[in-house]
Amino acid sequence: MSGGALRLARLTRVHAAGQPPALDDFTLDVPSGSCVAVLGPSGSGKSTVLRLTAGLDEPDGGNVHLDGRDLAGVPPERRGMAMVFQRPLLFPHLSVRDNVAFADRVRGVPRRRARERAEHYLGLVALGGFGDRPARALSGGQEQRVALARALAAEPQVLLLDEPFSALDSALREEMHDLLLDLRVRLDPTVLLVTHDAGEADALADTVAVLDGGRLQQAGPMRELYTAPASLAVNRLLGGRTEVPGTVRDGVHRSELGALVLSGSVPDGPGVLVVRPEAVRVTAPDDPAADVPGTVVRVRRRGLRALVAVEVPGPGGASVEAELAAGEELPAGRTVGLVLPVAARAVVPPVPADPLPAAAPCLTGDTLRP
Amino acid sequence: MTAVEEVRARPGSDRTVRVASRTGRTLLAVWLVLPVVPLLLWAFADRWTFPALLPQEWGTRGLDEALAAGAGGAFAHSTVLGAAVALLATPLGAMAGRALTSWQLPGSTAVLAVLMSPLVLPPFAVALGLDVLLLRLRVPAAAGVVMLLVVAALPYTTVVMRAAYAAHDRGFEDEARTLGASAWQTVFHVQLPLLAPALAGAAFLAFLVGWSDYIVTVLVGGGQLTTLPVLVAAAASATGSDAQVAVLSLAAILPPVVLLIVVGTLGRKGRR
Repeated sequence: MSGGALRLARLTRVHAAGQPPALDDFTLDVPSGSCVAVLGPSGSGKSTVLRLTAGLDEPDGGNVHLDGRDLAGVPPERRGMAMVFQRPLLFPHLSVRDNVAFADRVRGVPRRRARERAEHYLGLVALGGFGDRPARALSGGQEQRVALARALAAEPQVLLLDEPFSALDSALREEMHDLLLDLRVRLDPTVLLVTHDAGEADALADTVAVLDGGRLQQAGPMRELYTAPASLAVNRLLGGRTEVPGTVRDGVHRSELGALVLSGSVPDGPGVLVVRPEAVRVTAPDDPAADVPGTVVRVRRRGLRALVAVEVPGPGGASVEAELAAGEELPAGRTVGLVLPVAARAVVPPVPADPLPAAAPCLTGDTLRP
Repeated sequence: MTAVEEVRARPGSDRTVRVASRTGRTLLAVWLVLPVVPLLLWAFADRWTFPALLPQEWGTRGLDEALAAGAGGAFAHSTVLGAAVALLATPLGAMAGRALTSWQLPGSTAVLAVLMSPLVLPPFAVALGLDVLLLRLRVPAAAGVVMLLVVAALPYTTVVMRAAYAAHDRGFEDEARTLGASAWQTVFHVQLPLLAPALAGAAFLAFLVGWSDYIVTVLVGGGQLTTLPVLVAAAASATGSDAQVAVLSLAAILPPVVLLIVVGTLGRKGRR
């Protein structure tokens, strides 16, 4: 099975007249055999992308192309796409095997052949021998594996995954990630994945499209989104929490942190400096390499690494988040120096009327922490 | 959770609850079964005069008389009538239930009120009034009876199917469609099996409406359609033997009980 090339062109969907569109002029390329993730908070329109692609809803504008063919008016069952939802949705009146054989059966494949093929796909998701069980006699992780096998058994041109692993606990989720990576190597499907979890998008996808408020914010490889986010929304969604407003002139950002030289060409004018916590290095306050001094005000542990919030003194004050090296400890109240590598300094346009209160970035970061 | 723990903490109250629950169920069973006991006795009593506690002579005279009075034909008529009402009212109720739950219909409350109205209108008045209309329209009597009873059964089937569709997850259908099932295949392979217990329940209620109706059958049927209730009423009001009435009544009670058990087992299987 090798997947088809999917292209979403200027998709627009308005759920109810008078309301802002759920999806607004969304364009995305999913090359054959690739995995593209649509990343966005809940209500961003990311599930709408999948429903429009699958043909479960009609777009109000734009097209879905599969291998160059426009799918307008093609019903869901003729699109060659199979979807896995967040809920496993295994048909409760069928056994595990008959669930996986469903696509073949509705296509008229003889029962015997369909069941043989179902066994094969159950084997692929490491559930060989589970075929005779009723669909309700499985654990959550097993159910989602069966749902995946059922979708793969339909041999879709494009596999659509709608937050398929969000309801699982973190250990199971990582197991499912490994399984999906393994299946990608074996079957080379085209995958369009929707998730609110930046870590999941990073782990599974070749490229990531960030969606917020129904609009595409940025698309590209995850590294690029991390180091050069296009907007505050993207930075927040990816767990970035350092936001220092200031102005850019002649490639230098001036703010509470002082004058910081930027890499690349950045247009003059107001701009918010964002830096990934992983890129910030914490040193001694008298280190000549340090760009700014500050005081640790908050320490949050994340496994072996700790995330510290450093308050930089100034009239308005500014807060910079930094991730410590594995095993490193710093108490709150310690004075430190911060090194902000030039390559890690990114400037995004300020949001004119920010609907979120000042504390919102922290909240966003918290909810998105995997 | 807390209530369970509380009960567990006090074993005395636990026992009280169990005893109360068992007593309640026993009383309910007695309440339901007790009226059937004299019927059973009467059905096989050839002679049973006042002071005796049990029939003095047992036999099948009641059965013979009932058969002679046309019980067999009436049984068949009732079955066909009940089945026809169930067959028509169940899909109609399912469609109404689906429409009322899945789309934001303008005035859906009003639609529901109209569908429920047979419950509040006195059947005698409705049947009498519509009888004239049906006669003028030259609708055959049997068809008229079925039509009116389908309307009378719609509130039950609609309510059952509306609840079923409200609890039904449309995601199953979306999933089936993306797996390659056409709209019709989705109905037959996914929707119907998932809703089978509710459909069976709705059909059972609709069958009962047709099976047990008397007023519409007599008024609109114009005496042409002899069903079991009509026969029971005729035998009971005339000077027929008590044994015959008992046999006819049992014949009217047993099929619904058997159906109830079948539907109940189906429902339990669906829930498992």
